Amino acid sequence: MSMIQYLWLIPTLPLLAAALTAIAKQPQRRFAATLAIASMSLALVLSCIALTVALQHWGHGEPEHQVYNFRWFQFGDNHWLELGWVLDPLTAVMLVMVSFVGLLIFIYSTGYMAQDENFTRFFCFLSLFAAAMLGVVIANNLLLLFICWELVGLTSYLLIGFWYHKPAAAAAAKKAFITTRIGDLALLLGMVWLYSQSGTLLFYNGGKGCLEQTALLKLVTQTTSIGVAVSTGIALLIFCGAIGKSGQVPLHVWLPDAMEGPTPVSALIHAATMVAAGVFLVARVYPLMGAPATLVADHAEVVSTALRAVTWVGAITALFAATIAVAQSDIKRILAYSTVSQLGFMMIGLGVGGVAVGMFHLITHAFFKALLFMGAGSVIHGCHEEQDIRCMGGLRKFMPITFATYAIGMLALSGFPLLFSGFWSKDEILHHAHTWSVSHWPFYMGVVGALLTAFYMTRQVFYVFFGNCRLTLGKTTTSEQRTVAHGGATAKEHPHVELSSEPHESPLVMTAPLMVLAFFSVTLGFIGTPAWPWFQAFLEGKQLVSAPGKLMEGGILSVMGLSTIVVFAGIGLGYWLYGRKPVPASQQPDPIERLWPDVFYLLKRKYFVDEIYDWAVVGLNRRWAQACDWLDRWVWNGAVQIISYLTVVLSWANRVFDEKVVNLGFDEGCEGVSLGARLMSKLQNGRIQNYLRTIGLALAILVLILIWGCHAQ
Amino acid sequence: MSYLSILNLAAPETIMVMTALAVLAADLLFMRELERGTRQLIGAMIGCAGCLAAVAWMLVLPLPEPGSLMQGLFLVDPLIRIVKVALLALTIFTVLISMEADFTQHIGEYFALILFAAIGMMFLVSTEDILMIFISLELTSLSLYILTAFNKRNIKSAEAALKYFLFGGMAAAFTLFGLSLLYGISGSTNLAEIAKAVSGKSVNGLDPLLIAAIVLTVIGFGFKVAAVPFHLWAPDAYEGAPIPSAAFIASGSKVASFFVFAKVMMIGFKGAEGSGSLQAWMPGWVPTLAVVAAASMVLGNLAAIAQSSVRRLLAYSAIAHAGYVLLAVMAVPSPLAPHTSPLGPLVYYVITYGLTTLGAFAVVSNVQQRTGGDRLSDFAGLARRAPLLSFCMLIFMLSLAGIPPLAGFFGKFYVFTAALSSGGKSLGLLWLVILAVAMSAVSLYYYLLVLKQIYIMPSTDQDTPRPLSIGSQAIVFALAALVLILGCAPGLILEPVMSAIKVAGL
Repeated sequence: MSMIQYLWLIPTLPLLAAALTAIAKQPQRRFAATLAIASMSLALVLSCIALTVALQHWGHGEPEHQVYNFRWFQFGDNHWLELGWVLDPLTAVMLVMVSFVGLLIFIYSTGYMAQDENFTRFFCFLSLFAAAMLGVVIANNLLLLFICWELVGLTSYLLIGFWYHKPAAAAAAKKAFITTRIGDLALLLGMVWLYSQSGTLLFYNGGKGCLEQTALLKLVTQTTSIGVAVSTGIALLIFCGAIGKSGQVPLHVWLPDAMEGPTPVSALIHAATMVAAGVFLVARVYPLMGAPATLVADHAEVVSTALRAVTWVGAITALFAATIAVAQSDIKRILAYSTVSQLGFMMIGLGVGGVAVGMFHLITHAFFKALLFMGAGSVIHGCHEEQDIRCMGGLRKFMPITFATYAIGMLALSGFPLLFSGFWSKDEILHHAHTWSVSHWPFYMGVVGALLTAFYMTRQVFYVFFGNCRLTLGKTTTSEQRTVAHGGATAKEHPHVELSSEPHESPLVMTAPLMVLAFFSVTLGFIGTPAWPWFQAFLEGKQLVSAPGKLMEGGILSVMGLSTIVVFAGIGLGYWLYGRKPVPASQQPDPIERLWPDVFYLLKRKYFVDEIYDWAVVGLNRRWAQACDWLDRWVWNGAVQIISYLTVVLSWANRVFDEKVVNLGFDEGCEGVSLGARLMSKLQNGRIQNYLRTIGLALAILVLILIWGCHAQ
Repeated sequence: MSYLSILNLAAPETIMVMTALAVLAADLLFMRELERGTRQLIGAMIGCAGCLAAVAWMLVLPLPEPGSLMQGLFLVDPLIRIVKVALLALTIFTVLISMEADFTQHIGEYFALILFAAIGMMFLVSTEDILMIFISLELTSLSLYILTAFNKRNIKSAEAALKYFLFGGMAAAFTLFGLSLLYGISGSTNLAEIAKAVSGKSVNGLDPLLIAAIVLTVIGFGFKVAAVPFHLWAPDAYEGAPIPSAAFIASGSKVASFFVFAKVMMIGFKGAEGSGSLQAWMPGWVPTLAVVAAASMVLGNLAAIAQSSVRRLLAYSAIAHAGYVLLAVMAVPSPLAPHTSPLGPLVYYVITYGLTTLGAFAVVSNVQQRTGGDRLSDFAGLARRAPLLSFCMLIFMLSLAGIPPLAGFFGKFYVFTAALSSGGKSLGLLWLVILAVAMSAVSLYYYLLVLKQIYIMPSTDQDTPRPLSIGSQAIVFALAALVLILGCAPGLILEPVMSAIKVAGL
């Protein structure tokens, strides 16, 4: 069996599940969950087969990209719109990651959403999301990718606003949809431009695709009116799409708000998969991004403009978001900013080191960030919907499994040396940033970002799991206040809000996925160490050379040492501030707040980016709309009114003329005719005669039209 | 040519005739005593088996040499075969929908009439001879009149049938008049021969005789396809006829009529096209059709908005769709782009339209059985009572409105493209295409009215409705799936049709 022909089955299975769930009735919970999980499991099996096929091809040195293209429909004289899918190492690893993490989160959701009224709807959306995401991964056509990309955006909107009766959730959903739409517009423009220049949107098509030699050469040699190569222009536009989807500065504002959605959604969509789609997109069109360096051997040293942009945006994002995360107090928001920051790291990796470096961090991050989010979900679940870390504390005793797995995730994210996957992938990025020929600044920014990452994660863990339990039982927590404010609708969603005595450990269906993810958060790093760079070799299609001695090389060792020091410094600082003496009460200010209240306030309010956008973009828009409204009301409407009055006056004059002058004579005749007509209609009480008369009339009219046409000539 | 080879060419029709007689005989001779449900089941099964046998004969056996009997009296080529297969598929679906009907005791006659109508349609599409066209047109029409009147207990059915019959009789008289004028001009009943005479006539201005012939022929076919102003029978017939009959009138009859309409115009009146462009208006059959098409699109779409009965709404929607398809008929292959035949888009459009409208009628039939009416308000809250049925109706309505990726979108897309490219660079039919696009936007409004009732309005009746039968749901679902699949992969129909057109040399 040739796998490539059946690759479409992978997204189709969850799609079918979504379709069947959509027509299921609300109480059919077991059906919905079984269907979703079964389809995901099958998709995972198929993805694993796809991975083995890709591995075999790697071994045999056969062409790297297997494609299956087909014609969709024809337009114009001889243009065909072709779609297709591709199987290459990039696709294969993403497929396995998405379906595996997705499956675990599906299982976890059956526990987390167990009490929700709209359980079936949730699984319908979740399956639809999985289908769209897998579609993004296998697409061999920018248009197909874009279609799935938009579907992913749509499901993200639906899932963030899943509890749509919460105004915050509804607003967050809208914000996410509209903000990413800005990037998508640029992506669409880039796509149209690419099509107009290269005449195809297929990525790989046996030498004729838009990412292959011929098309790229054409794109590189042409320049636009502002002196940039066409390839650069297109690449930058496509990258804008990635900025929107992956929450890079300046379009990062939607991602933290998106945490209003259910926690499994945050884990799946806003940590592991969808936000990584932007990174994946850059990796997919890497030949275009890197052109001309990827094309001509002579230019191998030149770093393309597009890749510089990717690196700088990534570096700024990585540092910027990490600083904000330091001062947040909502457990999911901290993780959200951390995600933004890590996505920035991936962008740096793509910019300075190539596909393999960025993708390696993407894969490891997907696992440990999903783990952290699901751990956070477990904590929230156990603390009866409390999300403020200042009100937690001491949960280590109550939730041992959650604590242990969370600690592993935290160490992986912080990049704790040697044992954890995050260390290897982050170190790889820093190493390549260190040797980047353009500037050292991304490296420094990355190092500071890494320091902050270790720090804020330590802070969070100490707040949540250590010290005394500050959970005030019986007191209305923030989420319950929301409940009260909105007529108890949330209470219906979470009947488990009824406060039992203590925080409790989550059921096995939630903790088991945590343990599986924790296992991979540790082990996954070993497939891409400098000593045995299996992952990098696979993605780049090179021969695997294992070189244990490489670990000891000067450049690598020094960067590794530096990042180790940075991680220990971050953790140590966190311990010194938060761990030595536990925070006694939830109202007390944060230790940093005591030191630098102004800085803390600035960070806590996220550099006022939201406010600036509100003032600048939304405000301008509103003023513009008001101006248009004013124009509409007074200028255009006025003109229309004047015309309408004129018409009324004219018609009035007409009527007077008609009634007083014409009709006087006419009335008599008309009376006679209408009397006759009434008599006739009394005689003929069916309407069929009129019907038949119409045919005769039509005959006469049509013949007259034609004869008139003859004479007009 | 031996009788055996004639039988070989006309085998599908022969099979159908035998099936019709078998259904009739079986019901009249053996099944009088049985229960109605059983009789319906057996009748439908025999009918479907016959249709399937005819389909299998055409698909499985290799095509006999494209042949023609008696100078175009009876033709066999790949394109005609495809249209026949589509007609038979629509017939099968109609028979299946009829299985649950409870308006008549005369099961055998009913199914036999459906099959006779189908036979008429099959002969209609496989001839290029005006005499044969007229005879098969009458066979189809007469069967359909009776089918319309079949609900004898319902006065509306009788009224609709009478109107349909009188109107149809009048139209037939006009057609016959037009065809006899054509015979008078050319001295032949063969379309190609007629074309030779016609193009000789129209060198300097149009002959008045030819003008009359064109208009009279257009009236005849305009009646069959329900184009304005020959549409007046349609709303009454759609509303009054038993639902399976109405569905068959709306689907199968449309496919056959449009196909033969296009062939008569393109082959028989070749050389008398004229021009429908606003800048260079030249008399001929194209401008005649342009007037009819524009009127159909405007009147059909606007009148549909005011309807409160879903079947009347579908009737006006059918009138509007007739206007769109006429665009394809008008798109004569121009000397500038000879390889693009408008027949491909036309066949794709009418087949997918037939499937869609059949499905919509099947849904209406289900609703009517449960609530006793076909008013818009009877559909209120259907989504809660029957989610699958509602979803299928969503697909049908959106496809009729032309929303991608459903079949209706690609049908419109191809037809409009064909109309645009017909005049080469001059874009003569641009005004009609713009009108058509604008009117499709209008049409979305009334299709959404139906969907609004289904999905948004709360249900009005409180009593528990009869449960839906699995069979009827399966038919509706199969139709919806077909609409979706043919929309996602238009090539499934279009590519064989295009290659068949190349073979036929049209």
